[in-house]
Amino acid sequence: MPRRQLVFLIGIVVLTVAASVMTVVWRNEPLLGLDLQGGVSVRLAAVGPADEEMLDQAVEIIRDRVDGLGVAEPEISRTENGVMVSLPGVDDQERALSLVGTTAELRFRPVCRLYTERGAYGPASGSVPAGPASCQMVSTGEVVPAVGPAGVTLPEDDDPGDFVVLDLRNDPGQRYLLGPSLLTGEAVSDADALFIDYQWQVGLELHEGAVGIDGFNAIAALCFSGNPACPRSGGATNGRLAIVLDGQVVTAPSIRAPEFRRDAILISGGFEKIEADDVSLALRYGALPVELEPENIRLVSATIGEDSLRAGVVSGLIGLLLVAVFIVGYYRILGIVALASLAISGALLWSIIAHLGTQSGLALTLAGVTGMVVAIGVSVDSNVVYFEHLKEDVRDGRTARSSVDRAFPIAYSTILKADMASLIGAGLLWYLTVGAVRGFALYLGLATILDLVATYFFMGPMIRLLSTTRWFAEHPERFGLPSSGAVSASTGSLRGVGA
Amino acid sequence: MSILGGLYRGESAVDFPSLWRRAIVISTVAVLIGLASFGVRGLNLGLDFEGGTSFEVRSPGTSVAEARQVMEGLDAGDARIQIVDGELLLIRSDVQDPMRAAGIRDVLAAELGQVEAFEQVGPTWGDEVTDKALRALLVFFVVVALYIAIRLEWKMAVGAMVAVAHDIVLSVGVYSVLQFEITPATVIAFLTIMGYSLYDTIVVYDKVREIVGRLGATDRYTYTELMNLSLNRVAMRSINTSITSAIPVVSMLLIGSLIMGASTLQEFAVALLVGIFVGSYSSLFLASTIVAGLKEREERWRLVAGKVRSRGVVDGPTRVIGRQEAAVSSTRAAPRSSPTGGPAKRRPPIAAPGTGGVPPRPRKKKR
Repeated sequence: MPRRQLVFLIGIVVLTVAASVMTVVWRNEPLLGLDLQGGVSVRLAAVGPADEEMLDQAVEIIRDRVDGLGVAEPEISRTENGVMVSLPGVDDQERALSLVGTTAELRFRPVCRLYTERGAYGPASGSVPAGPASCQMVSTGEVVPAVGPAGVTLPEDDDPGDFVVLDLRNDPGQRYLLGPSLLTGEAVSDADALFIDYQWQVGLELHEGAVGIDGFNAIAALCFSGNPACPRSGGATNGRLAIVLDGQVVTAPSIRAPEFRRDAILISGGFEKIEADDVSLALRYGALPVELEPENIRLVSATIGEDSLRAGVVSGLIGLLLVAVFIVGYYRILGIVALASLAISGALLWSIIAHLGTQSGLALTLAGVTGMVVAIGVSVDSNVVYFEHLKEDVRDGRTARSSVDRAFPIAYSTILKADMASLIGAGLLWYLTVGAVRGFALYLGLATILDLVATYFFMGPMIRLLSTTRWFAEHPERFGLPSSGAVSASTGSLRGVGA
Repeated sequence: MSILGGLYRGESAVDFPSLWRRAIVISTVAVLIGLASFGVRGLNLGLDFEGGTSFEVRSPGTSVAEARQVMEGLDAGDARIQIVDGELLLIRSDVQDPMRAAGIRDVLAAELGQVEAFEQVGPTWGDEVTDKALRALLVFFVVVALYIAIRLEWKMAVGAMVAVAHDIVLSVGVYSVLQFEITPATVIAFLTIMGYSLYDTIVVYDKVREIVGRLGATDRYTYTELMNLSLNRVAMRSINTSITSAIPVVSMLLIGSLIMGASTLQEFAVALLVGIFVGSYSSLFLASTIVAGLKEREERWRLVAGKVRSRGVVDGPTRVIGRQEAAVSSTRAAPRSSPTGGPAKRRPPIAAPGTGGVPPRPRKKKR
């Protein structure tokens, strides 16, 4: 038994140290939220008339755009004639604009290839192909599409003239290698979800002229015949044309005719009604129900003043110190173990937050900080549950040493039951909500999992190891346990204490 | 102090069942006040939920604290104040009345500098966000209730849900009565309180289950008595946990308000503090009452109660199960206790089946 405990102990300590070192080496830092750090505020004004409903819709779409993961906690609100978007931690105004994506353009790109597995291309810089773009240029290696670490082209590299690798919206498992953009959303005059032939389809209507039906038909001819610029893939009879918005493929229909009428283009794809609505909305508005253009971009300071922030941090640290004093005063050496366990889960939590903050835009707001403060309380509680169980067993007449083995599984089962309820709650809130609540759910879930980890792999084994020492057996009172648990006092063990 | 000492030593120092009736009355009254206030006064929803007015004031060199002072003079101290590009103050207040907003604009212009923009702003936390959060909350209640029903038992699920709902109503009630401003952070505080209360309640229930599993089969104690024993044993943990959770919050409250009086931090801390203590209270007094009430109605526990009463125990303070009895029973229930009656070397099974697992053995009358 002790060997396994020792492995757990060493394992968790090594993991924690490694995670902390990585955090420092990679320069991961938590991304502080708008309230704590400020950021960039973009004010967008509607071009042309817009009613409140349209602006509200625009707010929702922008929220999706800037906060795909739902944890960056931007502030997006409707103003009298537009929308105001504030992003945390961004100090580059160009980047803020590209994130808010008012310039998001609907693009029609030929599908060169369909992937199911990721990482077909390593990170490389993109280069604009010379001459007529053909998908063969990629297969021969003449052009290498720029992709980020996740295997798809990053928004800043998503230029109309480049080859790109993009995911299907709503289904990141579907990935396409796409050729340069051949036509933009300007060609679209209208789109609607239609129920035709017993299925939901999207009816598309284009403008007249080169940026319109003529341009579209030129592409359609290429795709229909499977020209190298729009090849047949996967044994299909026709090439496919992808409709791309915001760096995602909205849909990628096969082109089944060499020529179309301006007002009679149908996209079918086994859509649900809501999907057909989505696609037609994207086609119609290029995403936003109103056209917005940036009015001004400004740096904003934190909503919580720096003085309040400092006071918050100071009071938090003092609070933590007092908790430490209380725990050690009450549980003695067990208290020190509890604090070490807290340090382990705290260091791991910090590493994860810093990593997600740097990689995925997870913002740490006041709410998150408070969530963590309370999580510390719950974390301490896991230790308290175990220690009180130990005391209980010692009072019931066991030796301190035998109590340790007996109490841990019982206490851990209690902790697990209680933590599972928290985890279920966190999971549901994460899945079902948006905005600040979602961020909170993430923090709660993380803290709870780490609590379980630290309890099982650190606190339990540590105390079991300590319990094998003579010191523990002879002086349980130094561990905050009743002295009746000492080995010498264990004869005639069914003594009652008090009562 | 002696009560605390008794709880510290794990003695049955508090007669919880005798307090239950009072707890129910107090809780009912508190919940009614909370609901009434919610109905009559409603909540003071902040800028994020209702929108308000934003002012842009050109006032280089003015600090956020100075601007806040001016806003406080206008009874709008909870405004969100930011410095834009180093020289512009962006003040967003939840004031919606255009007349009042115009008044504020005039004062700002007089005291701070030229007001460059002044307009109504919409909520950042729209109805859709609220709808989603409420739906999530409903699903949460159902799923967690199911979870407790499966892991523990459905009566405990009922108790836990009532306790959590009670805590939420009280915390929201505090905000309604004191008319604190609700911000997204407040909503988070409510959720935190909910999670905290649920955690606490499950720990209490698990103890009850352990004790009932150990001593229930002897048929010598009523469910209420076993519940009392469990509560006494788990009370010290509840108190300690409340203290450790409350210390950082109290520190935030005292130091936060002493050093710089950030009203949002203060209100936030008050809500959390109320939640922490109400959460512990509800699991010790409310969640337990409900389960005991439901269980005492069960056939089996009615029989036990009848037996106990026929043995001449009359109404009065709840019989206290002594440590010795509790401990002896625990070794008796364990088949592997060492023949000398010494401490069991192996861990005895604690989860004896709830009903009729170990037949009660005849026991010599002691005393």
